[in-house]
Amino acid sequence: MSKNYRILDLLRRGRTPLENHLIDGLIDGRISRREFVRHGSLLGLSLPLLGRIGMAAGFGAAPSLARAGAPGATIRVGSSVPAAAIDPVTIADAGGLLVMQQVAEFLCIDGPDLVLKPALAESWSPNTDGTVWTFKLRKGVKFHSGGEMKADDVVASIDRLADPANSSNALSVFSGILQKGATKKVDDYTVEFHLDAPNGNFPYMVSSDNYNAVIIPASYKGGYEQSFDGTGPFKIEKYTPKVGASFVRNDDYWGEKALPDRTEFTFFTDIQPQILALQGGQIDIINQMPVLAGVAVLNDPNVEVISLKSSAHQQLHMHCDEGPTKDARVRRAIALCLDREKLAAGLMKGRAVLGNDSPFAAVYPSTDTSVPQRKQDIAQAKQLMEAAGAGKGFKMTLTTERYLEIPEYAQLIQNWVKEIGIELELNILDQSAYYGDAVFGKSNWLDSAMGITDYGHRGVPNVYLAAPLKSDGTWNAAHFKNKDYDQMAASYIAALDLEAQKATAGKIQKLLLEETPVIFGYFYDYLTATAKGVTGVQPTAMSQLFLEKASKG
Amino acid sequence: MVFLGGQVLPGNVGRAILGPFADQRAVDALNHSLGVDRPLLVQYGSWIWNFLHGDMGTSYVFRAPVAPFVIDALGNSMKLALVAFVLVVPIGILGGVIAALNFNRPLDRIISLGGLSVTVLPEFVTGIILILIFGVWLRWLPIAAAWPKGAGFFTQLYYLTLPSLPLFLVLFGYIARMARSGMIEALDSDYTRTAVLKGLPWRMVIWRHVLRNALLPTITVIATQTGYLIGGLVVIETLFRYQGIGSLIFTAARGKDFPMLEAGILTIGIVYAVATLIADFLYSVLNPRIRLGAEQ
Repeated sequence: MSKNYRILDLLRRGRTPLENHLIDGLIDGRISRREFVRHGSLLGLSLPLLGRIGMAAGFGAAPSLARAGAPGATIRVGSSVPAAAIDPVTIADAGGLLVMQQVAEFLCIDGPDLVLKPALAESWSPNTDGTVWTFKLRKGVKFHSGGEMKADDVVASIDRLADPANSSNALSVFSGILQKGATKKVDDYTVEFHLDAPNGNFPYMVSSDNYNAVIIPASYKGGYEQSFDGTGPFKIEKYTPKVGASFVRNDDYWGEKALPDRTEFTFFTDIQPQILALQGGQIDIINQMPVLAGVAVLNDPNVEVISLKSSAHQQLHMHCDEGPTKDARVRRAIALCLDREKLAAGLMKGRAVLGNDSPFAAVYPSTDTSVPQRKQDIAQAKQLMEAAGAGKGFKMTLTTERYLEIPEYAQLIQNWVKEIGIELELNILDQSAYYGDAVFGKSNWLDSAMGITDYGHRGVPNVYLAAPLKSDGTWNAAHFKNKDYDQMAASYIAALDLEAQKATAGKIQKLLLEETPVIFGYFYDYLTATAKGVTGVQPTAMSQLFLEKASKG
Repeated sequence: MVFLGGQVLPGNVGRAILGPFADQRAVDALNHSLGVDRPLLVQYGSWIWNFLHGDMGTSYVFRAPVAPFVIDALGNSMKLALVAFVLVVPIGILGGVIAALNFNRPLDRIISLGGLSVTVLPEFVTGIILILIFGVWLRWLPIAAAWPKGAGFFTQLYYLTLPSLPLFLVLFGYIARMARSGMIEALDSDYTRTAVLKGLPWRMVIWRHVLRNALLPTITVIATQTGYLIGGLVVIETLFRYQGIGSLIFTAARGKDFPMLEAGILTIGIVYAVATLIADFLYSVLNPRIRLGAEQ
């Protein structure tokens, strides 16, 4: 399809240099349409506008979204039990955030394609260096309790999360990025975020990607379970801790009204009973189904599995400051033992993509795909061991948690490294014993010479780049300290421009391949199972589930 | 004991609630607001003081009073235990009696061997098999034990049938075997021979003389199983998604929710004590020697 420069010129009028640079990238073919849409949404360009630019640049119309289903259904969901009182400030578990997200909304939503979509904010834009982000709020949005959502509510909601005195679970996201008091009201419908340092991905920190960042009334003082106040398409009907929750359509919703009349959530402590309940017709959806547990229904003709590519992964860390893995050649040798193709196809039943020993998963547009993929190479691994003076091999312990497929993964690694003379003893612990107090000196996770840790999905790699890998990172289990890396990570995080991000990403990927403090073997898909005939269900890899377009055939 | 044991476990409450990836400052703030950063003795003292005043405390994790959780869970557990109990005790005893009366004949072998085989199968195995048969293939019975709100007696019973079946299987062999050996011993005794020889009808001999004596050890066994039926069903409760006191204690221990854990364990302790008391009472009803001994 040909490019229509006249329309392009019209559309480009009034755009910032940063936005125009992105459009140039699309026209010149330096970035793909998918990358263009995703990064454009991050910069605050609206999706219709991005679509028009894409058309004018010769990419054809974007595929239209799913057809509307029939209204009036009751959608029944199986999910994990909220582990604690549901409170936007402290919430930290998948079961709880799922319930909260049914009633409360975010400024923007990180969709399944990792494209940011406006929700309570209509648009957003950075200043020239990315230190101040301005969000324009939607007008006429009503809380379930009646008041209108305004800038004061947004300032209070975000400030509450950035305050170290508040037991905020989002503190680790905002730490070093957004301080208490740095969220400022400009007028009733405009909010500015003044950041500690330039940040090109900041909108993700106040999107559904930061699951605590829901907007609730400024007057909130705790006890969220008494009100479940929010602005969402559903309102609470009943919540019973440990048992379940039900919701009804919010007829005052600002957007398109929800199709289902009601939704019912049933809490399960384990995945197997959920699978049986889905097969037995007692629930319509399993919100999150781990691959190994779900093998039974992956090929069941009565079940449809929604598979989202995600950045969730298992990090295999190796101490870089002591023991046999102090030598980077030994760490590389261990990484070369893994047969990643087999991991993705066998262990993960094809529901995973290969990792290349950096947080840059294939789902991220900024990932430099020209960096060669690391493959199993036992001969080279043996050479590296020889060169490092460890040709005779050694014994060490791999400590990890009993969670998902990690124990099986650990056994595979144990077998593979035998070939280069490394004898691994497995120490598989209960999750609470593995994480311990989660501070250095009091945690098997952070103190073990070698360990495997589960990391949930994030829409941007910022968190993975900082806490587990930076010299002062609080989750730096590998004890990796590298000044060049720290600088690169900071410059990646600051970059506003997709091409600048890509260039830095490539450098980081190469450095991490060379150093290999952490092995990223694979990134696994997020699976949601639905009974046949249930349509319009929209999960995210953050364990959120959007049901406003759901219906039963 | 529980209080101290819980303190020795690794991790702390704030960390358990906020997760390993939360900022340490947030964890400290939460621990402070829950009061778990106070010295142990102070915490223990205030807990005991409140408990003696009828206040079971406030759950750290759910930030709501513990009592309704414990009472609900105990009620649920007792219902399930009762259904299983009503199923297994008469059938188990009957099985034992039939086996004893057919001592060493094929029927005895079938009951003894069959009963023992299902007893050694753990309840999560039989539970899943039963769910697959009755819940997924035949769709006769609901898989989850939690009945809809406001359900009547029979609906509740319907929902509790499937979860009580694995319990039945676990206990049947045990009870039947005890009843069988008691019966065999009693049938073999002098008083039975005397009763038969003095011309009492066979049914009367069994009912008045044999059963009464044969059941004494069985009652002790049943009483000791009551504690298990009420507090030890974590696996069944998880499998059938049932809010019993077993899973309440289990999740409380994992979440370091000490007020909940302590209240739950004390409650189970009380249940054990009551069950043993009832067993002793029944024992005395059935065994005049104990009753008379007390009177003398």
